[in-house]
Amino acid sequence: MENLGLALDAAWQVLLVGLVLGAGLPAVFALGIRFLGQEHATSGGTGFATAGPTPVGRVLAGVCFLVVLAGIALGITIVVAAGFDKEVSFEHVFPTIVDAS
Amino acid sequence: MSPELVILGLVVVTALAFDFTNGFHDTGNAMATSIATGALAPKVAVALSAVLNLVGAFLSVEVALTVTNAVVKIQDADGAPRPDLLTDGGQPLLVIVLAGLVGGILWNLSTWLLGLPSSSSHALFGGLIGAAIAGLGFGGVNWAGDGTKLDGVLGKVVLPALVAPLIAIAVAAVGTWLVHRITAGVAERYRERGFRWGQIGSASLVSLAHGTNDAQKTMGVITLALLASGRWTDTESIPLWVKVSCALAIALGTYLGGWRIIRTLGKGLVEISSPQGMAAESSSAAVILTSSHLGLALSTTHVATGSILGTGLGKRGAEVRWGIAGRMVLAWLITLPMAAVVGAAAWFVADGVGGLAGAVAVFLALAAASGAMFVRSRHEPVDHENVNAEWRGMPGAARSEAPAPAKV
Repeated sequence: MENLGLALDAAWQVLLVGLVLGAGLPAVFALGIRFLGQEHATSGGTGFATAGPTPVGRVLAGVCFLVVLAGIALGITIVVAAGFDKEVSFEHVFPTIVDAS
Repeated sequence: MSPELVILGLVVVTALAFDFTNGFHDTGNAMATSIATGALAPKVAVALSAVLNLVGAFLSVEVALTVTNAVVKIQDADGAPRPDLLTDGGQPLLVIVLAGLVGGILWNLSTWLLGLPSSSSHALFGGLIGAAIAGLGFGGVNWAGDGTKLDGVLGKVVLPALVAPLIAIAVAAVGTWLVHRITAGVAERYRERGFRWGQIGSASLVSLAHGTNDAQKTMGVITLALLASGRWTDTESIPLWVKVSCALAIALGTYLGGWRIIRTLGKGLVEISSPQGMAAESSSAAVILTSSHLGLALSTTHVATGSILGTGLGKRGAEVRWGIAGRMVLAWLITLPMAAVVGAAAWFVADGVGGLAGAVAVFLALAAASGAMFVRSRHEPVDHENVNAEWRGMPGAARSEAPAPAKV
């Protein structure tokens, strides 16, 4: 029955990482879309009200999309690195590729 | 040409055929949601998925030589074939592998005909288990491993199949709920365009992950056959031509597109919108990549189906057709035993006829059965033209059976 314990052990880890990456990144992406969608609702009266995102919204949305892209890039790197007997270390905060331990 | 060489050739061709069915069986896991929401034109979606599977197959340099060890005992821990199966140029081992592949292919084709997504890995493992039981007895099967890691039929097949859908449902439901919550009230044109891109990106990731996971199983099987016949001696690496041909076979299968299964996943299970599609594919990609990294062998199909179900649960008022979900679960439960029965039958035929003639007989039977199923599929064809047509029940089911979708 060791298998059952091992499976449950791995399962909750997958669930946890899955929630952070599989639900968290889409949420950040959605946040980006929300920022894009905040049009000049309060800029009435200037006469320049144009459709489209505000500059601030544009920047914030860009940050959100960059976070998502970085997350995906990191995920792919970890998987590909594992194939080459390497792993990604967070020892120096910024991820670096090292030989698998 | 010696009989052993011909048998080896049959095993290689059959393995590539399995890889091909693996590809078209699983296209829907990645692309069904993008096709259903119109984020990608059907032909573009399968082409993109095929290219990414090809790339993925080459990225997976991890040696998959011991793939059969998960469920049967026909090779050592380091990948070398069992010496007692190597008489007559490895014939005993080659016949077990051939029979196992036949079991896997026929089950894959049957479920495709019914439009049911089912795990290709479980079909392959089932076939191998059946052939091993027939050829070596129950002791030839690795039921539970040695307890030090997740292994055996229990640890590599049964338990993962139980947890995969649950994890995927949870992640996708949470993701869908968050996404809808966050973008509530945002102008439709931003939502639709943004989520379409998100969907394409996340579906691409699933395709890539599929290529890295599944193509190497066939590579391992072919290399094992080469080792058994003495045509390859290195248990550390896989011949380049094996890698290239497996990558091409899975990509070609993916490009052909299992339209029947794509339709069930994209239109049958849940009526899907772009935000839901993105949430589902993100959940699938994250769970598949994480689990294979942690050594939990989750089936791409179980995860993808669970994610699509979860996205139906996470959105208020979304429709989930539970009747279809039930049929899928039933198909998953019987995948392993059914493929095992076919694998065992194939082994008995090959062994009964004996030698080269036996292997040829099994191969011809496989070709005939596959041909018959293809002809049957033409009676109710599903292709890129009608893949998104309004849902009117499963293929093969009487029209009147089509259930009214239940509200959740």
